[in-house]
Amino acid sequence: MAGHNESTASGKKSTEATNDVSTLNAESLQSNMKIIYYSRTFMSIIGGVIAGILGFTGLSGFILYFLIMAITSVGLIAKAGFQVHSYFDSWNQVILDGFLGGLLSFVLFWTFAYDIVHIF
Amino acid sequence: MAADLVLDTAIRDWVLIPLSVVMVLIGVLRYFVSKLMRSNQVPDAKIVKEGQLVIRARNLRASANFIPPKSFRARRFYFSNEENGLLFVPKGQAQNPQAQMFSDPNMAMDMMKKNLSMIIPQTLTFAWVNFFFSGFVAAKIPFPLTQRFRSMLQNGIDLSTVDVSYVSSRSWYFLNLFGLRGLFSLILGEENAMDDTQRMMQMSGFGFDPSKSLGAEKDSLDIIQHDWALPKFEHRAEAVLKKLVR
Repeated sequence: MAGHNESTASGKKSTEATNDVSTLNAESLQSNMKIIYYSRTFMSIIGGVIAGILGFTGLSGFILYFLIMAITSVGLIAKAGFQVHSYFDSWNQVILDGFLGGLLSFVLFWTFAYDIVHIF
Repeated sequence: MAADLVLDTAIRDWVLIPLSVVMVLIGVLRYFVSKLMRSNQVPDAKIVKEGQLVIRARNLRASANFIPPKSFRARRFYFSNEENGLLFVPKGQAQNPQAQMFSDPNMAMDMMKKNLSMIIPQTLTFAWVNFFFSGFVAAKIPFPLTQRFRSMLQNGIDLSTVDVSYVSSRSWYFLNLFGLRGLFSLILGEENAMDDTQRMMQMSGFGFDPSKSLGAEKDSLDIIQHDWALPKFEHRAEAVLKKLVR
Protein backbone atom coordinates (compact mmCIF):
# COMPACT_ATOMS: atom_id res chain seq x y z
CA MET A 1 0.00 0.00 0.00
CA ALA A 2 2.73 2.40 0.90
CA GLY A 3 5.06 0.44 -1.28
CA HIS A 4 5.98 2.96 -3.91
CA ASN A 5 7.14 5.46 -1.34
CA GLU A 6 10.13 3.68 0.02
CA SER A 7 11.71 2.33 -3.13
CA THR A 8 15.00 3.88 -2.12
CA ALA A 9 15.29 1.96 1.12
CA SER A 10 18.62 0.54 0.26
CA GLY A 11 22.28 0.32 0.93
CA LYS A 12 22.47 -1.40 4.25
CA LYS A 13 24.86 -4.00 5.39
CA SER A 14 22.92 -6.60 7.22
CA THR A 15 23.72 -7.21 10.83
CA GLU A 16 22.91 -10.17 12.95
CA ALA A 17 21.25 -9.78 16.29
CA THR A 18 23.87 -12.04 17.81
CA ASN A 19 26.49 -9.39 17.44
CA ASP A 20 26.36 -6.04 19.17
CA VAL A 21 28.72 -4.31 16.78
CA SER A 22 26.53 -1.94 14.82
CA THR A 23 27.20 -2.14 11.11
CA LEU A 24 24.47 0.22 10.03
CA ASN A 25 25.50 3.20 8.00
CA ALA A 26 24.27 6.33 9.79
CA GLU A 27 23.41 8.21 6.62
CA SER A 28 21.46 5.35 5.11
CA LEU A 29 19.67 4.92 8.39
CA GLN A 30 18.71 8.56 8.32
CA SER A 31 17.45 8.24 4.78
CA ASN A 32 15.37 5.24 5.80
CA MET A 33 13.89 7.22 8.66
CA LYS A 34 13.05 10.00 6.26
CA ILE A 35 11.28 7.53 4.01
CA ILE A 36 9.24 6.33 6.98
CA TYR A 37 8.32 9.90 7.76
CA TYR A 38 7.23 10.57 4.18
CA SER A 39 5.18 7.39 3.96
CA ARG A 40 3.46 8.17 7.22
CA THR A 41 2.65 11.74 6.25
CA PHE A 42 1.36 10.58 2.88
CA MET A 43 -0.75 7.86 4.43
CA SER A 44 -2.16 10.14 7.10
CA ILE A 45 -3.24 12.69 4.50
CA ILE A 46 -4.83 10.01 2.34
CA GLY A 47 -6.42 8.47 5.42
CA GLY A 48 -7.79 11.82 6.50
CA VAL A 49 -9.45 12.34 3.14
CA ILE A 50 -10.88 8.82 3.24
CA ALA A 51 -12.23 9.30 6.76
CA GLY A 52 -13.78 12.60 5.78
CA ILE A 53 -15.44 11.30 2.65
CA LEU A 54 -16.81 8.26 4.40
CA GLY A 55 -18.18 10.57 7.06
CA PHE A 56 -16.55 9.14 10.15
CA THR A 57 -17.04 11.17 13.29
CA GLY A 58 -15.66 10.97 16.78
CA LEU A 59 -13.82 7.90 17.86
CA SER A 60 -14.27 5.91 14.67
CA GLY A 61 -12.12 8.40 12.79
CA PHE A 62 -9.26 7.96 15.21
CA ILE A 63 -9.66 4.23 15.02
CA LEU A 64 -9.30 4.56 11.27
CA TYR A 65 -6.12 6.54 11.84
CA PHE A 66 -4.67 3.82 14.01
CA LEU A 67 -5.70 1.25 11.45
CA ILE A 68 -4.01 3.18 8.66
CA MET A 69 -0.85 3.62 10.68
CA ALA A 70 -0.84 -0.10 11.40
CA ILE A 71 -1.24 -0.83 7.70
CA THR A 72 1.61 1.55 6.94
CA SER A 73 3.81 -0.19 9.48
CA VAL A 74 3.02 -3.56 7.98
CA GLY A 75 3.70 -2.18 4.52
CA LEU A 76 7.04 -0.76 5.60
CA ILE A 77 8.04 -3.98 7.28
CA ALA A 78 7.01 -5.95 4.22
CA LYS A 79 9.07 -3.58 2.09
CA ALA A 80 12.03 -4.28 4.33
CA GLY A 81 11.53 -7.95 3.58
CA PHE A 82 10.48 -8.65 7.18
CA GLN A 83 14.10 -8.17 8.22
CA VAL A 84 13.77 -4.95 10.14
CA HIS A 85 17.19 -5.22 11.71
CA SER A 86 18.96 -4.94 8.41
CA TYR A 87 17.44 -1.53 7.84
CA PHE A 88 16.66 -0.09 11.26
CA ASP A 89 17.97 -0.17 14.77
CA SER A 90 14.85 -1.49 16.35
CA TRP A 91 11.23 -2.33 15.77
CA ASN A 92 10.09 0.77 17.57
CA GLN A 93 11.51 2.95 14.86
CA VAL A 94 9.37 1.35 12.20
CA ILE A 95 6.20 1.14 14.21
CA LEU A 96 6.18 4.27 16.31
CA ASP A 97 8.22 6.86 14.48
CA GLY A 98 6.19 9.73 13.09
CA PHE A 99 3.05 8.36 14.65
CA LEU A 100 1.94 11.58 16.29
CA GLY A 101 3.41 13.79 13.61
CA GLY A 102 0.89 12.56 11.12
CA LEU A 103 -2.04 13.09 13.44
CA LEU A 104 -2.25 16.81 12.82
CA SER A 105 -2.28 16.36 9.05
CA PHE A 106 -4.82 13.62 9.46
CA VAL A 107 -7.16 15.78 11.53
CA LEU A 108 -6.84 18.68 9.13
CA PHE A 109 -7.66 16.68 6.03
CA TRP A 110 -10.32 14.72 7.84
CA THR A 111 -12.04 17.96 8.83
CA PHE A 112 -11.62 19.43 5.39
CA ALA A 113 -13.08 16.49 3.50
CA TYR A 114 -15.80 15.93 6.09
CA ASP A 115 -16.91 19.55 5.92
CA ILE A 116 -16.94 19.67 2.16
CA VAL A 117 -18.90 16.47 1.76
CA HIS A 118 -21.19 16.32 4.78
CA ILE A 119 -21.63 19.59 6.62
CA PHE A 120 -22.84 21.97 3.99
CA MET B 1 -24.92 19.45 22.40
CA ALA B 2 -26.46 22.41 20.72
CA ALA B 3 -28.68 22.04 17.72
CA ASP B 4 -26.86 21.57 14.46
CA LEU B 5 -26.15 24.72 12.61
CA VAL B 6 -27.08 24.93 8.98
CA LEU B 7 -24.19 26.38 7.09
CA ASP B 8 -24.63 28.05 3.76
CA THR B 9 -23.02 26.27 0.82
CA ALA B 10 -21.65 29.61 -0.26
CA ILE B 11 -19.47 29.57 2.84
CA ARG B 12 -17.90 26.38 1.62
CA ASP B 13 -17.36 27.70 -1.87
CA TRP B 14 -16.15 31.16 -0.93
CA VAL B 15 -14.52 30.72 2.47
CA LEU B 16 -13.41 27.21 3.31
CA ILE B 17 -12.01 26.11 -0.02
CA PRO B 18 -10.40 29.42 -1.03
CA LEU B 19 -8.80 29.78 2.39
CA SER B 20 -7.27 26.32 2.27
CA VAL B 21 -6.09 26.68 -1.31
CA VAL B 22 -4.57 30.07 -0.58
CA MET B 23 -2.75 28.66 2.43
CA VAL B 24 -1.19 25.93 0.32
CA LEU B 25 -0.26 28.32 -2.47
CA ILE B 26 1.23 30.82 -0.04
CA GLY B 27 3.33 28.07 1.47
CA VAL B 28 4.64 27.14 -1.96
CA LEU B 29 5.24 30.77 -2.84
CA ARG B 30 7.08 31.35 0.40
CA TYR B 31 9.31 28.39 -0.34
CA PHE B 32 10.30 29.68 -3.74
CA VAL B 33 10.74 33.26 -2.58
CA SER B 34 13.02 32.23 0.24
CA LYS B 35 14.89 30.06 -2.25
CA LEU B 36 15.38 33.06 -4.52
CA MET B 37 16.44 35.33 -1.73
CA ARG B 38 18.91 32.92 -0.27
CA SER B 39 22.30 34.27 -1.16
CA ASN B 40 24.78 31.53 -1.80
CA GLN B 41 27.52 32.84 0.36
CA VAL B 42 31.03 31.59 -0.07
CA PRO B 43 31.69 29.35 2.88
CA ASP B 44 34.56 30.28 5.10
CA ALA B 45 37.46 27.91 4.51
CA LYS B 46 38.18 27.57 8.20
CA ILE B 47 34.62 26.62 9.08
CA VAL B 48 34.46 24.07 6.29
CA LYS B 49 37.74 22.62 7.42
CA GLU B 50 36.51 22.27 10.98
CA GLY B 51 33.28 20.69 9.84
CA GLN B 52 35.14 18.12 7.77
CA LEU B 53 37.41 17.47 10.72
CA VAL B 54 34.46 16.75 12.96
CA ILE B 55 33.06 14.36 10.37
CA ARG B 56 36.38 12.55 10.15
CA ALA B 57 36.58 12.22 13.91
CA ARG B 58 33.01 10.97 14.00
CA ASN B 59 33.81 8.36 11.37
CA LEU B 60 36.73 7.20 13.43
CA ARG B 61 34.51 6.99 16.49
CA ALA B 62 31.80 5.06 14.66
CA SER B 63 34.11 2.47 13.19
CA ALA B 64 36.69 2.37 15.95
CA ASN B 65 36.09 -1.29 16.62
CA PHE B 66 37.05 -2.38 13.15
CA ILE B 67 40.69 -1.36 13.40
CA PRO B 68 43.39 -2.81 15.66
CA PRO B 69 44.02 -1.14 19.01
CA LYS B 70 47.34 0.27 17.95
CA SER B 71 45.92 1.91 14.85
CA PHE B 72 43.09 3.33 16.85
CA ARG B 73 45.40 4.79 19.43
CA ALA B 74 47.55 6.38 16.74
CA ARG B 75 44.54 7.95 15.11
CA ARG B 76 43.17 9.17 18.37
CA PHE B 77 46.48 10.72 19.24
CA TYR B 78 46.50 12.43 15.87
CA PHE B 79 43.11 13.95 16.59
CA SER B 80 43.26 14.78 20.24
CA ASN B 81 46.73 15.23 21.63
CA GLU B 82 47.26 18.31 23.73
CA GLU B 83 50.00 19.89 21.64
CA ASN B 84 49.02 19.91 18.02
CA GLY B 85 46.07 17.55 17.81
CA LEU B 86 43.57 18.60 15.21
CA LEU B 87 40.65 18.66 17.59
CA PHE B 88 42.49 20.47 20.33
CA VAL B 89 41.49 24.11 20.56
CA PRO B 90 43.67 26.32 22.73
CA LYS B 91 41.78 28.16 25.42
CA GLY B 92 42.18 31.73 24.25
CA GLN B 93 41.77 31.07 20.57
CA ALA B 94 38.17 30.01 20.66
CA GLN B 95 36.47 32.96 19.09
CA ASN B 96 33.13 34.19 20.13
CA PRO B 97 30.57 33.36 17.45
CA GLN B 98 28.49 36.34 18.43
CA ALA B 99 31.37 38.71 17.87
CA GLN B 100 32.09 36.98 14.60
CA MET B 101 28.53 37.48 13.58
CA PHE B 102 28.55 41.17 14.17
CA SER B 103 31.77 41.54 12.29
CA ASP B 104 30.21 39.84 9.28
CA PRO B 105 27.23 41.85 8.04
CA ASN B 106 26.35 39.24 5.44
CA MET B 107 25.37 36.78 8.10
CA ALA B 108 22.99 39.15 9.85
CA MET B 109 21.56 40.19 6.50
CA ASP B 110 20.95 36.60 5.55
CA MET B 111 19.18 35.89 8.78
CA MET B 112 17.03 38.94 8.43
CA LYS B 113 16.03 37.89 4.93
CA LYS B 114 15.06 34.46 6.16
CA ASN B 115 13.00 35.84 8.99
CA LEU B 116 11.33 38.35 6.73
CA SER B 117 10.43 35.70 4.21
CA MET B 118 8.66 33.88 7.00
CA ILE B 119 7.03 36.75 8.84
CA ILE B 120 5.79 38.92 5.98
CA PRO B 121 3.62 36.30 4.23
CA GLN B 122 2.21 35.22 7.57
CA THR B 123 1.23 38.70 8.60
CA LEU B 124 -0.21 39.42 5.19
CA THR B 125 -2.26 36.24 5.12
CA PHE B 126 -3.50 36.82 8.61
CA ALA B 127 -4.54 40.35 7.75
CA TRP B 128 -6.21 39.10 4.59
CA VAL B 129 -8.10 36.43 6.47
CA ASN B 130 -9.15 38.91 9.09
CA PHE B 131 -10.31 41.40 6.54
CA PHE B 132 -12.32 39.12 4.29
CA PHE B 133 -13.34 36.19 6.38
CA SER B 134 -13.78 37.38 9.92
CA GLY B 135 -16.74 36.03 11.77
CA PHE B 136 -17.64 33.05 9.63
CA VAL B 137 -18.33 29.68 11.03
CA ALA B 138 -16.33 27.95 8.37
CA ALA B 139 -15.96 24.34 9.40
CA LYS B 140 -16.94 21.67 11.86
CA ILE B 141 -14.49 19.31 13.42
CA PRO B 142 -15.84 15.77 13.19
CA PHE B 143 -15.17 14.90 16.81
CA PRO B 144 -16.36 16.42 20.07
CA LEU B 145 -14.10 18.62 22.14
CA THR B 146 -14.30 20.13 25.58
CA GLN B 147 -15.05 23.77 26.35
CA ARG B 148 -11.42 24.59 26.86
CA PHE B 149 -10.84 24.46 23.14
CA ARG B 150 -13.37 27.19 22.50
CA SER B 151 -10.89 30.03 22.50
CA MET B 152 -8.66 28.04 20.19
CA LEU B 153 -11.26 26.98 17.67
CA GLN B 154 -13.73 29.82 17.76
CA ASN B 155 -11.38 32.71 17.62
CA GLY B 156 -13.36 35.62 16.22
CA ILE B 157 -16.91 34.63 17.06
CA ASP B 158 -18.06 35.43 20.53
CA LEU B 159 -20.98 33.09 20.96
CA SER B 160 -20.95 30.79 23.92
CA THR B 161 -23.93 28.75 22.77
CA VAL B 162 -22.36 27.40 19.61
CA ASP B 163 -21.03 23.87 19.91
CA VAL B 164 -17.27 23.83 20.37
CA SER B 165 -16.64 21.64 17.36
CA TYR B 166 -17.56 24.46 15.01
CA VAL B 167 -14.51 26.27 13.78
CA SER B 168 -14.34 29.92 12.89
CA SER B 169 -12.54 31.00 9.75
CA ARG B 170 -9.70 32.60 11.66
CA SER B 171 -9.09 29.43 13.61
CA TRP B 172 -9.29 27.44 10.41
CA TYR B 173 -6.43 29.59 9.22
CA PHE B 174 -4.40 28.59 12.26
CA LEU B 175 -5.26 24.94 11.85
CA ASN B 176 -4.05 25.14 8.27
CA LEU B 177 -0.91 26.93 9.31
CA PHE B 178 0.13 24.08 11.55
CA GLY B 179 -1.46 21.12 9.84
CA LEU B 180 -0.16 21.75 6.35
CA ARG B 181 3.45 21.27 7.40
CA GLY B 182 3.25 17.59 6.55
CA LEU B 183 1.83 18.32 3.13
CA PHE B 184 4.58 20.85 2.45
CA SER B 185 7.24 18.39 3.37
CA LEU B 186 5.72 16.03 0.81
CA ILE B 187 5.28 18.44 -2.06
CA LEU B 188 8.33 20.63 -1.52
CA GLY B 189 10.78 18.02 -0.39
CA GLU B 190 12.74 17.93 2.79
CA GLU B 191 14.37 21.28 2.21
CA ASN B 192 11.34 23.09 3.49
CA ALA B 193 11.23 21.32 6.82
CA MET B 194 14.97 21.52 7.18
CA ASP B 195 14.86 25.23 6.61
CA ASP B 196 12.48 25.66 9.48
CA THR B 197 14.62 23.76 11.91
CA GLN B 198 17.69 25.62 10.77
CA ARG B 199 15.90 28.86 11.37
CA MET B 200 14.98 27.70 14.84
CA MET B 201 18.57 26.82 15.54
CA GLN B 202 19.76 30.19 14.40
CA MET B 203 17.18 31.99 16.45
CA SER B 204 17.90 30.13 19.63
CA GLY B 205 21.64 29.68 19.56
CA PHE B 206 22.82 32.31 17.09
CA GLY B 207 24.47 29.70 14.98
CA PHE B 208 26.59 26.92 16.30
CA ASP B 209 30.02 27.31 17.67
CA PRO B 210 32.56 25.30 15.68
CA SER B 211 35.18 25.29 18.41
CA LYS B 212 32.62 23.96 20.86
CA SER B 213 31.73 21.09 18.55
CA LEU B 214 35.42 20.36 18.15
CA GLY B 215 35.80 20.18 21.91
CA ALA B 216 32.77 17.94 22.28
CA GLU B 217 34.05 15.64 19.57
CA LYS B 218 37.43 15.50 21.27
CA ASP B 219 35.83 14.58 24.58
CA SER B 220 33.76 11.80 23.13
CA LEU B 221 36.78 10.51 21.27
CA ASP B 222 38.74 10.51 24.49
CA ILE B 223 36.29 8.48 26.49
CA ILE B 224 35.60 5.85 23.86
CA GLN B 225 36.31 2.29 24.90
CA HIS B 226 38.16 0.53 22.17
CA ASP B 227 37.18 -3.06 21.64
CA TRP B 228 38.57 -4.68 18.55
CA ALA B 229 35.85 -6.59 16.75
CA LEU B 230 37.96 -8.80 14.53
CA PRO B 231 38.61 -11.67 16.98
CA LYS B 232 34.89 -11.92 17.55
CA PHE B 233 34.29 -11.87 13.85
CA GLU B 234 36.31 -15.02 13.47
CA HIS B 235 33.95 -16.76 15.85
CA ARG B 236 31.04 -15.40 13.94
CA ALA B 237 32.45 -16.51 10.62
CA GLU B 238 33.08 -19.94 12.11
CA ALA B 239 29.47 -20.17 13.20
CA VAL B 240 28.20 -19.07 9.81
CA LEU B 241 30.44 -21.51 7.96
CA LYS B 242 29.41 -24.35 10.26
CA LYS B 243 25.83 -23.58 9.54
CA LEU B 244 26.55 -23.65 5.83
CA VAL B 245 28.41 -26.93 5.97
CA ARG B 246 25.73 -28.63 7.96
